[in-house]
Amino acid sequence: MYIIMVYDVNEKRVAKILKTARKYLKWVQNSVLEGELSPGKYEKLKLEIERLIDKKEDSVRFYVMDSRKVFELEALGLEKSDNGFIL
Amino acid sequence: MESVYLFTSGSLRRKANTICIETESGKKYIPVENVMDIKVFGEVDLNKRFLEFLTQKRIPLHFFNREGYYVGTFYPREYLNSGFLILKQAEHCIDKKKRLFLAKRIVSGSIQSMIGFLKKRKVTDDSLREYKEKTEKAEDISELMGIEGNAREEYYSKLDELVFDEEFRIGKRTRRPPKNFANTLISFGNSLLYTTILSLIYQTHLDPRIGYLHETNFRRFTLNLDISELFKPVIVDRLFLNLVNTKQINEKHFDEVSEGLMLNDQGKSLFIKNYEQVLRETVFHKKLNRNVSLRSLIKMELYKLEKHLLGEKLYEPLL
Repeated sequence: MYIIMVYDVNEKRVAKILKTARKYLKWVQNSVLEGELSPGKYEKLKLEIERLIDKKEDSVRFYVMDSRKVFELEALGLEKSDNGFIL
Repeated sequence: MESVYLFTSGSLRRKANTICIETESGKKYIPVENVMDIKVFGEVDLNKRFLEFLTQKRIPLHFFNREGYYVGTFYPREYLNSGFLILKQAEHCIDKKKRLFLAKRIVSGSIQSMIGFLKKRKVTDDSLREYKEKTEKAEDISELMGIEGNAREEYYSKLDELVFDEEFRIGKRTRRPPKNFANTLISFGNSLLYTTILSLIYQTHLDPRIGYLHETNFRRFTLNLDISELFKPVIVDRLFLNLVNTKQINEKHFDEVSEGLMLNDQGKSLFIKNYEQVLRETVFHKKLNRNVSLRSLIKMELYKLEKHLLGEKLYEPLL
């Protein structure tokens, strides 16, 4: 599965969310991460995030796709991080 | 799960419970939960805390030197311990008959995979078929190794006919150091494949130190060498052919070293990019009735071996 995660949370929790999400996904720009995950790992990620957020204030969204092939990415402007596993 | 390749120099650290590489240009985080192994080509600093973290997350760390040769592996503590399977693995190694059986299967599977590779490209070769039949009659391992060597030589000469550019033909296989472009590419691809298979063995109960075709000794992992024989044509040789015939790789990607050639960083990362793509490619598996990636195909090969050792099902390569 290919996951795009977007979050808008209270400033107090931004760092926490980022730290947790970075264990599973690649950071692409502020409040956005994406990457390939197995269904099991995705459940784990959701569980960890759910424990961190305040449900009345925060919003986290996951865009779940079968694979990277089903969508096309068009990007304008600065590429904030080079995404790839060759560093 | 992905492999991470490091070319940059810097320090590898555990940070915020994930992997962080700190370079002059800043910090980069790698999602630890999705990493199968790390292959290091650059100069990195690391500490024990980081190795402990890799052990906890079950990630092997492979090192390569500047020329792209395999140097060694940080193989974390085994987490799938099975004394029973290790005994079985050793039994099949010590018992000459049992070992010969497995070695024969591996060699004939490897020749079959060469035949298949050539056939797909409309090259037929009867002598390879003869070599395959010969393996059945082989009486010891060294004879088998001889057949394997001859078959491979024959196969490389046929492979050469498929290379358009004469400059990039294999000719004679040379190693340590490889002396022409083709040999350099194949050597590099093979060493990548060895480590990939080693990482996959780590995820099974098998012990990589006990091989069947390759002599088990004091020095190195051998089971991954055995299994790699089956996959070299479909992964390494195919990649070699594609890269060379589409002229994606050229003289610019090589550096001269004493008495040979090596790939430079640009060449290496181009090769790796395509290598990873091939591993992700899927083929239709008749028995499972679904598509599986080449990486999982390798893993299934390992499970078949496990089953053979446990006496559940005779090992049939690549079916």
